[in-house]
Amino acid sequence: MKIRRLSAAIAAVAGGALLFSACSSPLGGDETEGGSGDDGSVMADGPCKADLGDVTTADGDIKVANEQELFAYNGLTADTYSTYNSAILDRMLGSFYYFGTDGTVCHDDAWGSYEAKSPTEIQYTISDEATWSDGTPVNYADYLLAWATQAITKDITVTDDASEEPLFNQVGGLTLGDYVPAGPEADSADAKQFTYNYERVNADWEILVDTALPAHVVADQIGVSTEELVDAIHNLDGDVLKDAAKFWNEGWLLEKPGELPDPALTPSSGPYMFAEGGWSAGQSVTLTANPDYWGPAPASKTLTFRQIASDGQIQALQNGDLDVIQPNGPTVDTISKIEDLGDSVNLETGQTLIWEHLDFNFGDSSAFADSNGGLAAREAFALCVPRQKIVDDLIKPIDSTAVVMNAREVFPFQDTYEEVTSAAYDGRYDAVDIDAAKAKFAESGLEEGTEIRIGYLDPNPRRTDTVSAIKASCDQAGFEIVDAGSPTFFDKELGNGDYEVALFAWAGSGQITSGENIYATTGGQNFGGYSNETVDAAWKTLSQSTDPAVHTEQRKVVEKELWDTLFGIPLYAHPGVVASSSSVNNVRATATQGGVVWNAEQWARAE
Amino acid sequence: MSFHSYPHAVPHGRPPVKGHEPVLIYILRRTFASVVVLLLSSVLLFFLTTKAGDPYADLRGSNADNIEQLKAARAATMHLDLDWYERYWIWLKGVAGCFTGSCDLGTTRAGQDVLFLTGTAAGATMRLVTAATLIAIVIGVALGILTAIRQYSGFDYGVTFAAFLFFSLPVFWAAVLLKEFGAIRYNDWIATGQLGPVMIVLVAAVLAVVIPSTLGGDRRRRMITGGTTFVFVVAVLLLLNLLDWYRHPISGPFMVLLVSAGAAVLVTAIVSGIRNRTALYAALTTAVVGTIAYTVLAFTPLLADPSWLGLFGLFVVTIVVSLLIGRIWGGYNRKQVMLITGVTGVVTSLVVVADILMGYWASFLGLKSRPISTIGAQTPNFTGDFWQRLIDYGTQLILPTVLLALVSIATHSRFTRSSMLEVLNQDYVRTARAKGLSEREVIVKHAFRNSLIPITTIVAFDFATLIGGAVITETVFGWKGMGQLFQEGLVNVDPPPVMAFFLVTGTAAIVMNLIADLAYASLDPRIRR
Repeated sequence: MKIRRLSAAIAAVAGGALLFSACSSPLGGDETEGGSGDDGSVMADGPCKADLGDVTTADGDIKVANEQELFAYNGLTADTYSTYNSAILDRMLGSFYYFGTDGTVCHDDAWGSYEAKSPTEIQYTISDEATWSDGTPVNYADYLLAWATQAITKDITVTDDASEEPLFNQVGGLTLGDYVPAGPEADSADAKQFTYNYERVNADWEILVDTALPAHVVADQIGVSTEELVDAIHNLDGDVLKDAAKFWNEGWLLEKPGELPDPALTPSSGPYMFAEGGWSAGQSVTLTANPDYWGPAPASKTLTFRQIASDGQIQALQNGDLDVIQPNGPTVDTISKIEDLGDSVNLETGQTLIWEHLDFNFGDSSAFADSNGGLAAREAFALCVPRQKIVDDLIKPIDSTAVVMNAREVFPFQDTYEEVTSAAYDGRYDAVDIDAAKAKFAESGLEEGTEIRIGYLDPNPRRTDTVSAIKASCDQAGFEIVDAGSPTFFDKELGNGDYEVALFAWAGSGQITSGENIYATTGGQNFGGYSNETVDAAWKTLSQSTDPAVHTEQRKVVEKELWDTLFGIPLYAHPGVVASSSSVNNVRATATQGGVVWNAEQWARAE
Repeated sequence: MSFHSYPHAVPHGRPPVKGHEPVLIYILRRTFASVVVLLLSSVLLFFLTTKAGDPYADLRGSNADNIEQLKAARAATMHLDLDWYERYWIWLKGVAGCFTGSCDLGTTRAGQDVLFLTGTAAGATMRLVTAATLIAIVIGVALGILTAIRQYSGFDYGVTFAAFLFFSLPVFWAAVLLKEFGAIRYNDWIATGQLGPVMIVLVAAVLAVVIPSTLGGDRRRRMITGGTTFVFVVAVLLLLNLLDWYRHPISGPFMVLLVSAGAAVLVTAIVSGIRNRTALYAALTTAVVGTIAYTVLAFTPLLADPSWLGLFGLFVVTIVVSLLIGRIWGGYNRKQVMLITGVTGVVTSLVVVADILMGYWASFLGLKSRPISTIGAQTPNFTGDFWQRLIDYGTQLILPTVLLALVSIATHSRFTRSSMLEVLNQDYVRTARAKGLSEREVIVKHAFRNSLIPITTIVAFDFATLIGGAVITETVFGWKGMGQLFQEGLVNVDPPPVMAFFLVTGTAAIVMNLIADLAYASLDPRIRR
């Protein structure tokens, strides 16, 4: 049985670039292949896509599971944004960057290049070869429109502070316009090179400029030329912009499942494009190699996304109805069923960018508020939470590389994890220490048997088990743990503060500053009401720098402060599972939300 | 089985009784009452759906900066800023538009048109449910009658046991087993297509027990039947192995003639008795004419490269010709003979289709080496001609249909059995026997028909529940049908798809109930006259 695992942090530190390579894990067992294997698979070096060299597209179809229906060519609106829709669309829409397997921002050299002239001046150059599948070159107009969708407000002005009602229903909101009010600047509408001048530094500048949809299609649909659309954006021409927004918001909805729109409406700028008649409602979507794609040719002629819920995926893989699966919410059962399939299937388990944590409520009614039990109570709780036991019992059976997570802003499988945690955390909560917890509990002045409600979104068996493990341990320290799981946890209890500890997960997106919203005093996701000047200041410094070294230093500050004042307790990164037929090469799991299809154009059927 | 619920008492409205109320008025009155019920329950369902959860649930865990704008966008799409009754009113106005030709069932959360989604979903569900219902009726009723006639026999106990087993089967688990044996292992096996010795003996042994127990007779006779069956089945299976029949099934006019002539004899035996020579010859003529027509048509595009419309046309012609044959042979009981030839004609056309599909089976295996998939309603990007595509659709239907049918067969057979037993104890059956009628006539003419009366209601209701109740089957087999529409709507706290589901199933329930009432009236001679 070939078992491929994402390697754990220890291996990453030891082996540097070997991080995440598919078969470098010491736990990989009988894995022997290395480098470019005789079966045509290529081992990746680092988190980005492997260089496959000269690929010729082979006839044949690779089938991958996707849990939901395709519903829009424009998957960037607030209504249509979904990982399942993106799984398909991202194969036919190019970009300057993509996320590597550990969340690293990787450059797509075939698409073009970008260069920071200064922290606030970024120059982008699109490849001269880059064209839409209808023959129109990819150029400045496409990126100007992409900027407009993230900058222009309903009142036809450029956003001031990103809080206005946007004209375009962009899922990312008006952040880009807030930072780059002037928009990308170029010599002409069809320029291949343009510059973004940031009004102030944005730490996440690399991922702010992402997918661009075809501006010439929008222009065509609203009856203007591309140049006129470009002018309209520059001059904030309300009439044209309103038409453009209407089309951008609704015109690319695929309203009739099973019926692909006119191909002129949905050109491709990626390795794949919609196959004619390739959409069967509720069943499957087939993409075919884009003959005009200038980058590395896709390895397989067609790629079919079959719609099936997690439950049916393993048997479908066994029967050859699917070649690649990534079952949602894997359990021990999922793993054992896949392992039963033996040599015909490759199994890869690993950590994902979704991480589980316990957050304290700092509100006045909470026992952990500084006005009540305070830091001592939180320390008492942290000392009695059996983190290692929770990981060993609940996560390791699924992913043997799972470890207790000791940070919030970096993951155990990322390069800087060891550096950040060694500076921020001394290992004081690694092991349960009931006596120390009792002492802290006494110090806190809390009454013996103080009720601690651990709230989470029910039903969730794994969280129920987590709470009972905590109860078994922490009740000895003097707490009275109450399982407060509720189906309405997020919309009621969390907002109302009806909990002492919240148990839930954040999904990391690869964004550097996303934590600011959670830990800063004014953060929108700071549900517990945490406030700390040092943390606020560190976030400010971090978000105003584009230097990775500064990011790491400030993260150390944030993490140390969050440990010392106990914002909450990180538990583990959620496990992920990818299984693929052993007849398909180059399938690689990724920790990111992009899912296993992130390198689908490299999947090749073994000869 | 949580998704099928059957009332304990046989449900039916007040049947139309002539002399009190004309049938048309009755239908109108019933329909009006049903529409009122539908309207009231739609209010309730809409209210419950809007309160079924948190429409922002997926956004709560997000740490995007513009979360408030995202919520506002969703609120605008789903009218979340309005009260539930205002949203209901919007929906109701859209539905009312259906009567003026501008149907609007609203949009899903992602902005897709629910009317179109409902169309495709209903299409998929109908395909899934129709075959299951037909199979369940035929097998369920047949089993019910047989078990009633052979009450307290080993066969009766066996079927009863199986019925309770299937009725209490967890669908989800049964689906996993079906996929394992019906798809994965079958596909492994068909690669060689040879039955092993153990399997041959096993199949023969099972048949050697089942067949004698349905035929009845004393112990000695059953032993002989069983022994003969065993030897015969073993011989046939060995022969099929030798011929590589499972991969290259023999087909052709000769097989059609053989099977349809057999069907002709069987139909005659059941309906009029084999001694009615006129009827027998009429039925056989139909089978022969059908086979000849098939042989000729096979060389024309009508069958070689057909269309659905062409096939339907041929089917209609077949029925007309069959009835004509019955009329020409006629005899003292022309109506009955026409019934026999008509049924024989239908059976013959089914045999012809089956024969053509068998002929294409080997080439289909060439296109798709693992013929039965565990998921999907069709093989994506399947390239084949009409008949090969039909095989593809058919093979994909088998597993979910079997799953759905199993439960219905269990119900139908139990209902038919008790209904048949009740009728067999009626005075008029005793009278018929006392008159000296043959057992066949007693059962077919007097008992069977009357026992069907309560079953019509069950079947009609079963169809309506199946439409809405195939949620699990749809999910595990990856069909996007009505159940999926409902489930996704409910998970997203998005009323329009849920209400569309309700409209379709609710209307189906009303229509089927009405049909059951009318069928009830036409089958029950006491109501008819």
